[in-house]
Amino acid sequence: MPGRVREQVASPLDAAADQMLADRARDGDLRAFEVLVRRYGPLMRVYATRVLGSNDETDDVVQESFITAWQHLGTLEDGSAVKSWLMRIVSRKSIDRLRTRRPHVNIDETDAPAPESSAPHARVEVESQTEALARVLAALPEDQRRCWTLRELAEYSYGDIAAELNLPLSTVRGLLARARKTLLRQMEDWR
Amino acid sequence: MTELTPANRRFLAFDLDGTEREQAGLNGHTIEQLSDYLDHGRLPADPGIDDSPDCEIALRGLERLRRAQRSLLERDLERESRRDDSWVSSILNNITLEAHAGREIPLTHPSPTARLVVTEGAVRGILRETGDRMQNVFVGRCVLVGDVSVPGTPISIRVDVTVFPGENIPLLADQLRHAMYAALSKYTELVVVAIDITVSDLQSLPEASAHEQENQ
Repeated sequence: MPGRVREQVASPLDAAADQMLADRARDGDLRAFEVLVRRYGPLMRVYATRVLGSNDETDDVVQESFITAWQHLGTLEDGSAVKSWLMRIVSRKSIDRLRTRRPHVNIDETDAPAPESSAPHARVEVESQTEALARVLAALPEDQRRCWTLRELAEYSYGDIAAELNLPLSTVRGLLARARKTLLRQMEDWR
Repeated sequence: MTELTPANRRFLAFDLDGTEREQAGLNGHTIEQLSDYLDHGRLPADPGIDDSPDCEIALRGLERLRRAQRSLLERDLERESRRDDSWVSSILNNITLEAHAGREIPLTHPSPTARLVVTEGAVRGILRETGDRMQNVFVGRCVLVGDVSVPGTPISIRVDVTVFPGENIPLLADQLRHAMYAALSKYTELVVVAIDITVSDLQSLPEASAHEQENQ
């Protein structure tokens, strides 16, 4: 189930709803915050890794995100929305990281030819769709992958993606369309 | 089934060049529209989409893509959850509790030069722990209402609690209130005129709990 992983420390708080945990964490309860870290940290790690394109900086980005979250819990009005709030923080941190890595993101890069279905047939046959998707996603141009991840993993609206990436809405639509079509084309070859 | 359409036509809609060929291959629609249509559970029904074999093929492709996305996410989450615990401790070790210490509440001391305080955060901690020692109740938010910085000023306390099903709520609230009064008088000099307890949420038992439901 997305957003949920095996709990590692048994505590009655493990069963508490997000709202309760966020309320307690806002009051300074570190144990409640720890349950939130365990509950959503893995999803945030997966997400940051995908946006960043590698897991080299995942630890740092996720750690920074949770520290920011802890400091700003007071601004979270609806504790039951803590999951999307955390996803927003990790999105922002990941994107900030990309900006420092490359100050001028080149939008033209997205016009680079999309990978054709180059996998040898033997590999396609043994490769599961899951693995194939991971491979094709990794090969997507960075801007496309970023938009796709914000949309599909963080469930951002088109407008939110545009605001977050500082891009015109039409560009976001174009990038998403290309990402989807590339994935769909590749999938035609998987079955 | 894909056999409905020859392979060369199938690819037309997924062509990367612009939207014209895309729309031509999808009965005037775009992949984005079809994706949004899926997001809304194919409602309200659009015969222009539903009756188009080309759209149907694209929709099936999109659905297959989503299934693959879900299983990829599950696989990645599973892998992350198998990691050792060091990433959690490293986060918790970098957190400063002062962020939520709140106001300072003075305590009297025999020596005139000594200044003793207990933080608001610590008082909230005392209230939470009081609740945690009881069965079938979770203490959530605790708010100290009033000027706690002036000794002797009457204050009230608002507490949100979650009670498990089947409990006698008035009785449990009463027990909790008494336990909280006792703990506060033991550790603080606050003059508490009221503890208002709000049972904000009824929660089912663990493992069928609220956060299972919210992911559906």
